[in-house]
Amino acid sequence: MKSQFFKKYSKQIIAVAIVLVICIILAALKPGKDELLSRTSPEMQKMIDADASSSRKRVTITYNSLFIINYASISTSGANVMSEKYVGFAGKVYQADEGAGKFVGQMVNYTYRMLGCGENLMHGAKLTILLTTLTVLFGVLLGTLLALAKISKKKLLSKLASAYIFFFRGTPLLIQLFVVYFTVPGVFGFAWRDLFNASDAEAVYKGAFTAALIAFALNSGAYCAEIVRSAIQSIDKGQFEASKALGMNYAQTMTRIIIPQSVRRMIPNVSNEFIMILKDASLVFAISLMDITTISKNIMTSEGSYLVFIPALIIYLVITAFFGFIFDKIEKKFSVYE
Amino acid sequence: MSDTYEYILKTEHVSKRFGSLEVLKDISLSVKKGEVICIIGPSGAGKSTFLRSLNQLEKITSGKIFIRDELFLHREDDHTVDRLPKEKQQELLLEMGMVFQRFNLFPHKTVLQNVCEAPIVVKKEKKDVVEARARQLLERVGLSEKEGEYPSRLSGGQQQRVAIARALAMNPEIMLFDEPTSALDPELVGDVLKVMKELAETGMTMICVTHEMGFAREVADRVLFMADGIIAEEGTPEEIFTNPKAERTRNFLNAVLES
Repeated sequence: MKSQFFKKYSKQIIAVAIVLVICIILAALKPGKDELLSRTSPEMQKMIDADASSSRKRVTITYNSLFIINYASISTSGANVMSEKYVGFAGKVYQADEGAGKFVGQMVNYTYRMLGCGENLMHGAKLTILLTTLTVLFGVLLGTLLALAKISKKKLLSKLASAYIFFFRGTPLLIQLFVVYFTVPGVFGFAWRDLFNASDAEAVYKGAFTAALIAFALNSGAYCAEIVRSAIQSIDKGQFEASKALGMNYAQTMTRIIIPQSVRRMIPNVSNEFIMILKDASLVFAISLMDITTISKNIMTSEGSYLVFIPALIIYLVITAFFGFIFDKIEKKFSVYE
Repeated sequence: MSDTYEYILKTEHVSKRFGSLEVLKDISLSVKKGEVICIIGPSGAGKSTFLRSLNQLEKITSGKIFIRDELFLHREDDHTVDRLPKEKQQELLLEMGMVFQRFNLFPHKTVLQNVCEAPIVVKKEKKDVVEARARQLLERVGLSEKEGEYPSRLSGGQQQRVAIARALAMNPEIMLFDEPTSALDPELVGDVLKVMKELAETGMTMICVTHEMGFAREVADRVLFMADGIIAEEGTPEEIFTNPKAERTRNFLNAVLES
């Protein structure tokens, strides 16, 4: 098995390995933070030194290290505003105040912020991936229950599941998100942030994240229900008959025979659903969570930098490609018996 | 369980209707322990439906089914008139193993797991006990080396022998075979029939729907010829194959044996 895999993908593996080695070398060659700061002009150096011994901080230093490249921005406030920017790459430090250097510096800085580097899980790509993954997880679980309810012989249960699916597929996700985030606490008299006793901003983020996860999972459950239902119904009737003939009851048949076989057939559709949710997750900008979309929009607004959306798109694409690959592998793993 | 019953399986006036189509008409059959019964007849005669209604894969429209002389189910006009309590029914149903035309092995489980699944899940038997028994059964059907394979890697004949082992793992008293060789390539039929023959020799009660006239002739204690939802003729293999009384039986046998 293993050796076959290596034989089949030998070219790709070698290519990936070469790229990895180059990246590692580049990352090792990358100048450090001190090296970047040591390139500043004498005036700026003076300001930095003065800042170190003064209680009135006038210098703002931003340092972003991104894999193989890094970026530092040093600016002063007050009279005589100064600003210097540097990019470090492959053992060299480049001025990044104008032209191509400025562009590269900006992109490094934006990407760094949109990935949520240097922040906790409630920021940037980390937030997007966490929200999407948890949504799909809960969505599939809920979807499985809904699918079982929908194909159940109990009329009421089946009708309820159909109504649920109709409702969540028939209304906009954004409004569902608003209902969970604003209406539900409004009616029941609580606030989402109260669920967490973190410092103020953290509690707000965590509360909003919880609300978003609930809204997304409820919504995704409706879509996953259809995925699971069609997968279950694609299983040969003979499997039910054989299980019954062997004395297995409905629950045993479902959990041991039918659902395990359905899983493989669900994976391509769940992978699709994952990508849909990944993109839908950008809706959390409406409840001020700091995901990739919100951060890019904020950068656009505060810095007037219309190019910020390009790295935003690339980040989304990379995440999509990565998880597409993962789902592909999972599908292969489940196909061993075919 | 006492052995004081007269018939291990008995049906009285069993009928089955799909909408307006009458598939089984008033079928009565009594089976003694250890009997091997082969049901032959043209397709569409209701053979499979009858077999499937014995272990409740089909619900009969009317009639009575007895297992070990106990009234298992009594239905009239698609309504249950009388039946054993559910748990008792379930217990008796476990005494019937079934082998399907299309094998219906569990594709996501290995051969050994296929055989072990039901005893572990349904009868809550210990895994090592079941596995030991499963290995014996696999040896009996000649598939010892295949226990780790997935069904998709086996030929049809091998799959069907696994299916037989799977049914036997539940230690049933009666085995139902629903055209077990009809989906097989001709050269694979023999292995399956051999296993069935050996099973018959152990004294297993068997009801086989089959198109294998040679097998019926050699192994059966009684042959039923079904046509148009009724048992048109019934007798020993000798009577049916050498001296059929009914016109329909003669026509059928001529058509089958000529080809």
